[in-house]
Amino acid sequence: MEPRVKADIRQHIVSTWLSGDERGFSEETDLQESGILDSFSTLALIAFLDRTFSIQLEPAEVNAQTFRSVSTIARLVMDKLAKNGAGA
Amino acid sequence: MRIDRLVAPWAQRAPDRIAIDGTEEALTYAELDALANRFARAFCAAGLRPGDRVGVHVPRSGRTVAAMLGASRAGAVYVPLDPGSPPARMKLVAEDCGLRQVVISNSLLANWLAAGVREPVEHFFLAGDGPGPAGAAPAVVHPWAEVTAASPEPLPPPGESPDELAYMLYTSGSTGVPKGVMISHRNALAFTEWAADQIELGEAERVASVAPFHFDLSTFDLWSSLSRGATVVIVDETTVISGRRMLDRIHAKGINVWYSVPSALVLMLDDGGLAERGAPSLRTVFFAGEVFPMKHLRRAMAALPQARFWNLFGPTETNVCLAYEVATSPPPEALAIPIGRPSCGDTAAILDPEGRPVPDGEVGELIVDGPTVMLGYWEGGRRTPAKRPYPTGDLVSRRPDGELMYHGRRDHLVKIHGYRVELGEVEAALLSHPGIQEGIAMAVDQQLIAVAVPADPAVSVLDVKRYCATRLPRYMVPSDVRLVEELPRTSSGKIDRVRTRTAFIAADWSLLRPAQRAEVRKES
Repeated sequence: MEPRVKADIRQHIVSTWLSGDERGFSEETDLQESGILDSFSTLALIAFLDRTFSIQLEPAEVNAQTFRSVSTIARLVMDKLAKNGAGA
Repeated sequence: MRIDRLVAPWAQRAPDRIAIDGTEEALTYAELDALANRFARAFCAAGLRPGDRVGVHVPRSGRTVAAMLGASRAGAVYVPLDPGSPPARMKLVAEDCGLRQVVISNSLLANWLAAGVREPVEHFFLAGDGPGPAGAAPAVVHPWAEVTAASPEPLPPPGESPDELAYMLYTSGSTGVPKGVMISHRNALAFTEWAADQIELGEAERVASVAPFHFDLSTFDLWSSLSRGATVVIVDETTVISGRRMLDRIHAKGINVWYSVPSALVLMLDDGGLAERGAPSLRTVFFAGEVFPMKHLRRAMAALPQARFWNLFGPTETNVCLAYEVATSPPPEALAIPIGRPSCGDTAAILDPEGRPVPDGEVGELIVDGPTVMLGYWEGGRRTPAKRPYPTGDLVSRRPDGELMYHGRRDHLVKIHGYRVELGEVEAALLSHPGIQEGIAMAVDQQLIAVAVPADPAVSVLDVKRYCATRLPRYMVPSDVRLVEELPRTSSGKIDRVRTRTAFIAADWSLLRPAQRAEVRKES
């Protein structure tokens, strides 16, 4: 499940904010430092995650740590899915 | 009148009323007044002289306001710095206006030091508890406890003249270097007092602070409110990215007056449930900074039937110079609402390129004179007085009923979510990348786009974005970067901006062939 979640998030970020150019991009790339996420793209990404994984991210869950990279976002999504009982 | 005098009378009359209701702490008028005096004394003890510039690089809070007020009371000029800007850009600002003293949050100071930025700052004042990061030497780091240990007694007032420089707002400069807009006490108060009078802002009313302090909208939130004994409610950076969170804050705090870019209101409609939940406490909504799309303005007015809506207009150089009250919801056929008539004691003319007034209905440049027109620019370490009357660069026309309508800019200044962005500054950052040969920036539907030709096929979109993020504030990093083989040219050989833009919007890649990408092994 987790590799799939990571792949979906990665694919979305690469196609939306890197014009499909995935050179140099990895699951650990810092999304803030690399200028990919600002307040407006963060908002769009939250909407994508809520829609794609049928979750509802709470304001307190969205911060610089949880939204640092594809890996950390995937971990957050997995935690949400597990809590919702839909992770199995 | 001067900004440094606004708070003290209320500290006498209503000492226990909340002046700044922040996310982490609230300051009463007495506390704000005392803390501003402590800051003023701490600055002076560190060698501040009248007229010096003091940087304030702290997320919005009561302490931030006290630092700005304290600098003002010490006779200095405060310079709010964008907490979202990278240290490299802050360095340009610090060098440009010679910031020797900077009030800074502990984490932002760590960023500055990690990026090697110290000069020309001699004194950092921490706005947070704790020792702060090491490695600032030779600059001195003053812990928060040192500020709070200073005497709360006022210093002798710095001066009487309302025409002295009060603060500077650094904005995007077309040459790639930000420039400071110099605002006097008279300039600032001409707008803030006008706005407070216009809505009869009452004491103990609750005014939202949504805009960052380096953005001119914030001068209303702070100085109109503090002049009338109202309470400023901070709507912080983690709240303004969510419509739901913003509306929760309005409900929780009973906010009465709101001033923001239209996008924030649209966000509350789209993502906050504003239409269903309403906001009964709101009585005044000011908006400015960008065009409010009519369909969204109608939705906002329907959701807030009790509120009066005002469209305020003006570049940072004139703060607000025109105003229009939207008395009734725009009819379905209306394509735009007016930007209004001169306000704040200003006068306006509409001139053609030869400097002649244009007839009603024709488009010309808006020329403004009056008390809100800035003193001038601080740029490249030099002060340049403003042209008077001031040509705004905005294209407008006058309707037969006297209201002015907006028709865009005559230069390359664009607005992205209300932030003004000189495309030249984005392009300068882009072109300073060693692997980029040429490129342009443009705004399409509130998105900043860069189209560039790489000199080196190994350059990736990620490289370009990451590079821009080290030189530009977050809102100026292009959200969409396209690497192409070549750019269309005009007959004179210049990059054809119009055709590039058209091709981009139409996704016509025959004009903009994607650059060949070097095959590199993917990191995984």
